[in-house]
Amino acid sequence: MFWRKQKAAIERFHPLHRALTLEKGFAVSLRRDDWEPVIQSLARHRTEIRRRRWLLPARVPGVLVPMLRIMASDMRPDGVLSVAADVRGPRLPEKTGPQYDVPVQRPVLSMKQWYAMDPWLRMRAELRDGSVLELSVTDRVRYRRRRKRNPRGKIKIKTKTKTTHLVRVTRRLAKDTAVQRPGTPPPPWIRVQVKQGRRMMFRANGKLPGPLGEAELIDRILHVSTEPFRWTPPGRAMGRTTT
Amino acid sequence: MNRCTVTTGFFVLGRCGQQAVASCPQCARPVCAAHAGPGGLCSECATAQGYTNQDPHHPSWTGGFRRRYYQSSSHAYRDTYWYSSFDEYDRGAFNPGDDYSHGGDWGDDDTGFVDS
Repeated sequence: MFWRKQKAAIERFHPLHRALTLEKGFAVSLRRDDWEPVIQSLARHRTEIRRRRWLLPARVPGVLVPMLRIMASDMRPDGVLSVAADVRGPRLPEKTGPQYDVPVQRPVLSMKQWYAMDPWLRMRAELRDGSVLELSVTDRVRYRRRRKRNPRGKIKIKTKTKTTHLVRVTRRLAKDTAVQRPGTPPPPWIRVQVKQGRRMMFRANGKLPGPLGEAELIDRILHVSTEPFRWTPPGRAMGRTTT
Repeated sequence: MNRCTVTTGFFVLGRCGQQAVASCPQCARPVCAAHAGPGGLCSECATAQGYTNQDPHHPSWTGGFRRRYYQSSSHAYRDTYWYSSFDEYDRGAFNPGDDYSHGGDWGDDDTGFVDS
């Protein structure tokens, strides 16, 4: 029997951690404090698992765990945090769009292009100020496969990819929360939509040329997430809102 | 009751509000059992002495990361008010009696989940 000790270690993991290891994803809603055992279980992964097939992608400890910590820190104990994580990657038939031909010039004989959309992280958190935060991170990967003939008549096929991270953060405020328009506009790569009403809604969209490393990606995700919170600055304590 | 005044939260800030069990030997403010760091230091004094935790799996990671995030996001948005409003709130815990020190914004951290 191969990998006996590591299989036993996986059996001891939290069920969500086990699903992330074996099925590369999960979608679940839990109360805030129920996420702590999941995080503690994930912390043991690197020391207990070495088989390549069962290793977690770097975005799990690099992005998923920090986002769980950050969301949970803004929630009440009875608040529900929903997470749908899918770390299978973009090379799956269900994530791939249709292929189409792109005009080419010699020496390129033909070129096919297609996109893959990989919504690998979606989160929804009920925050302690009564607002609801939704976050989604989608990798849009452009594939270009081209056939070209070199001067000696050989035909070669090359495939290039280009990744763009699409980050969308939506915050729906509690009823009748007073807001204050930020003094400066967001950076040009962030687009903001504001929906008026008793429960105001802010949506920030960020388009990030990638692929980015985990440290930079978490920074950029947090920068997009900042915009909906700038309308209710952190220095203003909860329940003491003014315009 | 003497309450722990450590800042909690990330985007939505609050105070811990748990019953304090000790005073920080550095700044003398009350801290609860969950927020008392090495040598009984509060999280801010522990950070100032270099006891920050870089591992996001650790419950105290958010508290150490928070100030760095506010600095970088304030820079990205060119919004000094964004950082100063956080800074005022965070420092308010050291000035008992001012507008930021108390006032009904206690977090509901009555479970073992500690974020700073």
